[in-house]
Amino acid sequence: MSLSERMLKIDRRIIFLVIGLCTLLPLLYPVGLPIKISSEVRGVYDHIESLPEQSVFLLSIDFDPASKPELYPQAIALLRHAFRKHLRVVTMTLWVSGTGMADQLVTQVAKEMGKEYGTDYAFLGWSPGGQAVIINMGQDLYSAFPSDYSGKSTKDLPVLDGVRSLKDVGYMVSLGAGRPGVEEWYVFGKDKYKFDLGGGCTGVMAPGLYPLLRSGQINGLIGGLRGAAEYESLIGQKGKAVAGMDAQSATHLAIILLVIMCNLFYFSLRQQRG
Amino acid sequence: MTELPFESIVGAWVATGLTLLIFSFLYKDNPLFKLAEHLYVGVSVGYVIVKTYDTVIVHLVVKPIVENGEFALLIPVAIGMLMLTRYVPKAAWMSRYAFAFIVGMGAGLAIPRTVSSFILKQVEDTIRPLLSVTGPDSLTFSMNLLNPASHLNAIIILLGVSSVLFYFFFSIEHSGAGKAVARTGILFLMISFGAGFGYTVMARMSLLIGRLTDLIEFSDASYGRPTVWLSLLTIGALFLLARRGRAQPPDAH
Amino acid sequence: MIFLRRQLPLLITLVTGLLFAAQYYVPHPASEQMLTSATKWLQIVGGFALILGVTSLFHQHAVKIRRQEAGWGYSLVLYVGMLGTIAVGLWANGKESVEGTMTAFGWIYNYMMVPLQGTMFAILAFFIASAAYRSFRAKSREAAVLLVAAVIVMMGRVPLGEYLIPLSGDVSSWILNVLNSSVRRAILIGVSLGAVALSFKIIFGVERSYLGGGKE
Repeated sequence: MSLSERMLKIDRRIIFLVIGLCTLLPLLYPVGLPIKISSEVRGVYDHIESLPEQSVFLLSIDFDPASKPELYPQAIALLRHAFRKHLRVVTMTLWVSGTGMADQLVTQVAKEMGKEYGTDYAFLGWSPGGQAVIINMGQDLYSAFPSDYSGKSTKDLPVLDGVRSLKDVGYMVSLGAGRPGVEEWYVFGKDKYKFDLGGGCTGVMAPGLYPLLRSGQINGLIGGLRGAAEYESLIGQKGKAVAGMDAQSATHLAIILLVIMCNLFYFSLRQQRG
Repeated sequence: MTELPFESIVGAWVATGLTLLIFSFLYKDNPLFKLAEHLYVGVSVGYVIVKTYDTVIVHLVVKPIVENGEFALLIPVAIGMLMLTRYVPKAAWMSRYAFAFIVGMGAGLAIPRTVSSFILKQVEDTIRPLLSVTGPDSLTFSMNLLNPASHLNAIIILLGVSSVLFYFFFSIEHSGAGKAVARTGILFLMISFGAGFGYTVMARMSLLIGRLTDLIEFSDASYGRPTVWLSLLTIGALFLLARRGRAQPPDAH
Repeated sequence: MIFLRRQLPLLITLVTGLLFAAQYYVPHPASEQMLTSATKWLQIVGGFALILGVTSLFHQHAVKIRRQEAGWGYSLVLYVGMLGTIAVGLWANGKESVEGTMTAFGWIYNYMMVPLQGTMFAILAFFIASAAYRSFRAKSREAAVLLVAAVIVMMGRVPLGEYLIPLSGDVSSWILNVLNSSVRRAILIGVSLGAVALSFKIIFGVERSYLGGGKE
């Protein structure tokens, strides 16, 4: 067996080890390379910046623990920004397994920013039905969510004063890891109820949302951990996403090298065999 | 330094242990992984059942009926109950009414909204930028590739959209001009799939980064270093399992 | 009987489908009120659908335990995990936290479900790397184009890539914003046309597989 052949049939656990080390070492010894801000992420940031104080900002945390590393930092950065701008923050989720996480992150950021539940922010919790929840919220928010996560009547929450449906929302961002996510919020929400919509999503979904970005159907897109790192840089509060970018760099480089090596061995083998 | 609450320390040990059990799959499929996998399914199903009961039955049905007398909500409950007749073979046909309702309504809601959002708006945005070439009194054409809104990019997009659609919809043997268009479509598709792969790699690596960040956090002395001790324990267990597996003939299980 | 079992469900689909498709174009208050009520109903029915989806596992694993088939111990773990979570969850009134304090249900969620689900998906990182090494070869011109685009995007989306090859950021941004956008747009239009056609087939009873449950 030639070297190329042996290398192409290498035990996959060696590759696993390389990837493991490329992730672990930069996390233990970070370098902190600068992160360039893309226009996609700036779209969301600029829109929140332009909102007057006390505007209603709706954040739908549409993901579960499977996508936590990518979307949790996005949610934290967005909430910090919204609270700093003194917006009225209303949060919810369309993903049942994301409920506990959404509750935790909203409570944590609100506590850190000194915000009061009910007056400055609210967490409506989860409701089943995906598209039905969005349409129902567009028709009558209190019909879709008669009570919030803790069971309090939503009609009694001062943070929702003057808000009857999605039409009264100043800006809405869906952080989606699949369906229902950003696309559903457009089709069943913005299409009819005409609110401003921004998106955040996992890396896997990001390329698929570019057509909506181009057509202006969403006015910004935070894609994956990289997007989260950009947002953290924009608000000047670096967190887990920025900390992970060195590891992201190292693993990408490792995969590129693996792909190059695999092609070199493949072509040398093809040449040997004529 | 403030001392961590007891439940957080126990939690860190449990979370680290379960994380390592799943990671043990990377060595090979083994009973530790299977155990964690089944526990994951069990806990997730239990969680969904509790949340659905609390949200749907308690908050969306019982409370509005008791507090506001919204008895009309018993209709969707009845439809939902019909759905559960799937479990009773003789009455399973009744579940068709429930499915007929949700599928029919879903289809009805989707048609106009999809046409408006994803067909008309997308076609419009493919053509509209090209109309701006002719200004009120002169022709302007921006060539800047790096500006996504430039006219040159608008033409590339039109080319991409039409060639890919042509490739999808005309699945005949292409020849002549058709062949050239279809090949252009394939080229565009490959570039987009490549970009998709790049982003997928990014996403998958991010998930690993997230889990390893937690493991690093739990290697701290304040938690009692569960990552260190449980890693050793997992490796030891895998070693023992491997030895036992070798001692037994392959057809023993 | 055939009417009740077969034709009436198809009639319900036809009527609800046409009604809600038409509703979009009729902004009359009565029509809007109907949409509000019906979507609320759909929310509630959605909850039952979710329960139907997850409980299908019950039977399968119960049979395995009863017959003590190979691996029945794992099914037992599944059952214990599920029943334990349900018991703790009901005791905590379905809440992960009460006024910021974590409940026992929240503990199960945070320290069991989150790491388990997170790690299940994190191991994919290793497999995508292995797959890239094993099968990402420039065997044809198309495969080479795919490979080059992937490498550019992988470089351009991380700080180290942009640092080593400054142009990679701009090029990957152009690929995503222009070339990728056009393809995804074509796919979106194509898939949407397909979805609309399927919806019409469902409404008019051409596509009936969703009815399932029985021969008639």
